[in-house]
Amino acid sequence: MTLGYRPGTGVLHRAHPFTVLALAGTVAVLAFTLSAPLGPMLLTAGLVAIAVAARVSRTLLTALAFAAPFWVFLVLIHVVFGDSPDRAVTVGSQISAVLVVFLMTLAAVHPGRLVDALLERGVPFHVAYLLVATLQSVPELQRRASAILDAQRCRGLRVRGSVWGRVRSVVPLAVPLVLGALGEVDDRALALEARGAASGLRRTPLDPPHDRLAERVTRWALLGSVLGTIAWRIVA
Amino acid sequence: MIPLSSRLLALIPLAVGINLAMGKFAAALSLPLFLDTVGTVLVATLAGPWAAVATGVVSQVAFTVLDGKLMWMAFLPVQLGVALYAGLAARRGAFASPWRAATAGLVLGLIAATLSWPIAFLLFGGVTAGGVTVVTTLLTALGVPLKWAVYGASLSNDLLDKCVTFLLVHVVLISLPKRLSARFPAADLARGRA
Repeated sequence: MTLGYRPGTGVLHRAHPFTVLALAGTVAVLAFTLSAPLGPMLLTAGLVAIAVAARVSRTLLTALAFAAPFWVFLVLIHVVFGDSPDRAVTVGSQISAVLVVFLMTLAAVHPGRLVDALLERGVPFHVAYLLVATLQSVPELQRRASAILDAQRCRGLRVRGSVWGRVRSVVPLAVPLVLGALGEVDDRALALEARGAASGLRRTPLDPPHDRLAERVTRWALLGSVLGTIAWRIVA
Repeated sequence: MIPLSSRLLALIPLAVGINLAMGKFAAALSLPLFLDTVGTVLVATLAGPWAAVATGVVSQVAFTVLDGKLMWMAFLPVQLGVALYAGLAARRGAFASPWRAATAGLVLGLIAATLSWPIAFLLFGGVTAGGVTVVTTLLTALGVPLKWAVYGASLSNDLLDKCVTFLLVHVVLISLPKRLSARFPAADLARGRA
């Protein structure tokens, strides 16, 4: 399965990060505002065509794998045990459209380019830092959680038995993880202080993504399509 | 934009990491829990509700990006509700004893389920995360109307999840070394020692 950024030269890779994000936002809104189920289904078909044209078609397999469990439960709940197959198709196609566009976005937008684009537009450094530092912290803490789990198992931690017994077993796992993380706060805070991270001053990115006129027009058109669809749904 | 100190800038990514790493423990112990708000509740007790709100927002964005499913952003109001409630509960000394923590956690479970069920029911037709959806499917198979099946599944999960979350944070707060505790004066308020 393909999840996350993958280098490429397609139209989405070359586009300004804001244009790809605008496409994702537009699809997320249109999937739930267009007439269902035809609207979301056509939207998904259009996204499949864009994915192929933009050479990010491998994300379609991931989207298929992610969407399959949703479809299974939707059919069980609304068709097998319920009587609203239309609802299953509507929600399933809405979820599929949102999955496809988001996986395409993740595959095409490099996090570093996005941060540069945000900084160029005056977004405070600490916002960009929070996003990047978090994405780095998560795998690190998950590795530590695995190490703590292995260590406590070696010491005889019970991972089977009654629910109450297993709930109690969370304590010797969670406390070392949390206290260890809190112990790092001071070191990190000092490093951030030394770099003036909390100063609030504007940073200048070295090589911000180029934002062409055609892309700015595209983003306005996407915004217009969202507002137009919402207005049409309110009036109709 | 809320100004963030260097200490908060350092704390929030670690708290989000805790939120997302705790699921590994729940899975290893085969517990029907998410434990994905432990970091948010912890920040609420150490730095107040607004820092917890920032943690909740970053946590939801990170979870959405790492899981590859944009739909999870729809559950942002639940994280915000958890953060605000935990911050206010901490100010009232909700972590002073295990009983108070468990009771405050149960109330949060009720709030979280009430916030999440309209999102799960209206936007996703009752189909969300694996375990909760299995319960929803079972209740639907037993003839429970879908909206009550979704609420019942959310409630059964959230009551236990948030109760255990608050108890865990209580244990962390009483285990906090004095050197660390001195860095976060709000922790004393949460422990009822102010």
